[in-house]
Amino acid sequence: MAVSTLLVPAKPRVARRPRPPGHASQMAFVASGLIPILAMFAVFAFAPVGIVLWLSLHKYNQLAPTAPFIGLRNFEFAFYTDPYFINALTVTLKYALVAVPLNLLFALPIAIGLNQVTRLRAVFRSAFFLPTVASAVGVSLIWRYLYEPQAGALNALLAIAGLPQPSWLADPTTALWAILVTAVWQDLGYNILILLAGLQTIPDDFYDAAKVDGAGPWPRFVGITMPLLSRTLLFVSVLTMISYLQQFTYVQVMPREPGDPIHSTETMVLYIYTKAFSNMQLGYASAISVVLMAIILAITLVQFRLLRSRWEY
Amino acid sequence: MDQPDLDRQSVAPGRHIGQWLLMAAFVVITIIFVMPLVLMIFSAFKPSAEILRVPPTFFPQAPTLDNFRTVLNEAPYGSWYRNSLVVACAVTALSLFTSSVGGYIFAKFEFPLKQPLFVLILITLMIPFPVLLIPNYLIANRLGLLNSLWALVLPGMVSAFGIFLMRQFAAGIPRDLIEAARLDGASEWSIFARIMLPLMRPALAALGVFTFLASWNDYLWPLVAINDLDKSTLPLALTFFNTLHAQRFDLVMAAATMAVVPVLIVFLIFQRHIVKALVLAGMR
Repeated sequence: MAVSTLLVPAKPRVARRPRPPGHASQMAFVASGLIPILAMFAVFAFAPVGIVLWLSLHKYNQLAPTAPFIGLRNFEFAFYTDPYFINALTVTLKYALVAVPLNLLFALPIAIGLNQVTRLRAVFRSAFFLPTVASAVGVSLIWRYLYEPQAGALNALLAIAGLPQPSWLADPTTALWAILVTAVWQDLGYNILILLAGLQTIPDDFYDAAKVDGAGPWPRFVGITMPLLSRTLLFVSVLTMISYLQQFTYVQVMPREPGDPIHSTETMVLYIYTKAFSNMQLGYASAISVVLMAIILAITLVQFRLLRSRWEY
Repeated sequence: MDQPDLDRQSVAPGRHIGQWLLMAAFVVITIIFVMPLVLMIFSAFKPSAEILRVPPTFFPQAPTLDNFRTVLNEAPYGSWYRNSLVVACAVTALSLFTSSVGGYIFAKFEFPLKQPLFVLILITLMIPFPVLLIPNYLIANRLGLLNSLWALVLPGMVSAFGIFLMRQFAAGIPRDLIEAARLDGASEWSIFARIMLPLMRPALAALGVFTFLASWNDYLWPLVAINDLDKSTLPLALTFFNTLHAQRFDLVMAAATMAVVPVLIVFLIFQRHIVKALVLAGMR
């Protein structure tokens, strides 16, 4: 044992041939620890992926006795025939493409400001973070009340300012954006936190050196902060994008009926839920799930590529 | 990876006016930002006539506890709370256990198929839950779990993110400690329990907070898995209460306050841990 450790650099792979004492008990530990975990993953993670792919190729209705194989017919129906699917896809993409920039538009300046504040930083940070720990259902109910046309606080303020008072959640032109504001309000604190952590990994020396060279605040922001923060920014954008592509709670709870008015807030996840559990079309709803999975996987893979290539520093 | 110090002071003192302006701006922004939560709490104390007044009042004119009383009398609020607590505690305890065992094994042991198994677990991180909603429903149905709290606990027992996080953390713990314990004749499980678990405590605290919050606030899966009102968790019960009393904002806000405020208080007490947990989670 002593000799082999002297001769062989500490690499377990090389030292494997003459099995060390206790190898059997270590393998027993690995097996007893890992097999139950893998079994749980098999039941609630691996198998579901297989099942959702299988279902998407079948006409599956829980009430029907058989589930005939129909190839890609579900996908064909979704993209060529079903206006509600196209609507849900449009609503989802529109929502995510607006919500992500809006979120960062608020989160980035607040994070940069917080990084400059010397006093009460922890207090401000906690305040911005409060909505994030509240349940999305609770937050939906609060904002449903704020958006109430007559008794709601928002329209009361607009009335004082002499501005028009829309019936936010009942009007198909405003409902989705009203819900989007709620979501951004709730998520902002999380992104501020991540961006703040990213900002604080930038060494002060960089800024000091730039100041010595006479660079003003804006050149310092463009020349130092942005390039060094770009990895964090990309990460935050992708994470936020992925979560905004899966919106469900707000659009289910806030409107009078889920997805109302006239389907203007019906996101893909809500549509999957409705198709699967109100209409019992589990096969078709699975096909839509697969489309959503493909979109999200594509975004994740693009992120991996970008993180690997250019953004090194 | 170095943990960034979130409270680091990065500006040299001396630029007073700029600092005060910035502070003032942040005070204003913060007040506007937390206003919806303040309004929720104030509204919960308003009598039903006041809540419908146009224009609405800000402070409750005649504060009352009636709304809380009505909510507690009319709805099984106690059992909703208990269900939420039971589920969130069970999910947190079980997934902390499996994550620390799994993370330790992947960090410190060599065994056949180690890499492919780990990659397989990581891949599940990329698949969002709503995509697996339907198969999970069918599986829970087949296992006879539907409409019981088990349906909420069992799928949450393992967490790919947790295993990943604990593996990263366990990798930084020196192997010598484990080898020394082995030479002393300690069994593998007691090495895990007596040496690894205490050393992994910081990461466990962070992961625990994260898991508890996620389970406490979960909505989509309970909505599908639970039918009976007395087996509901809080978020589910809140929406039920809301549909029952759509226009009684005094009651709805009282119910929401009782569900949300305790979590906010717990957050404020443990905010250091929670903030660290979320940064840790975000920086994976």
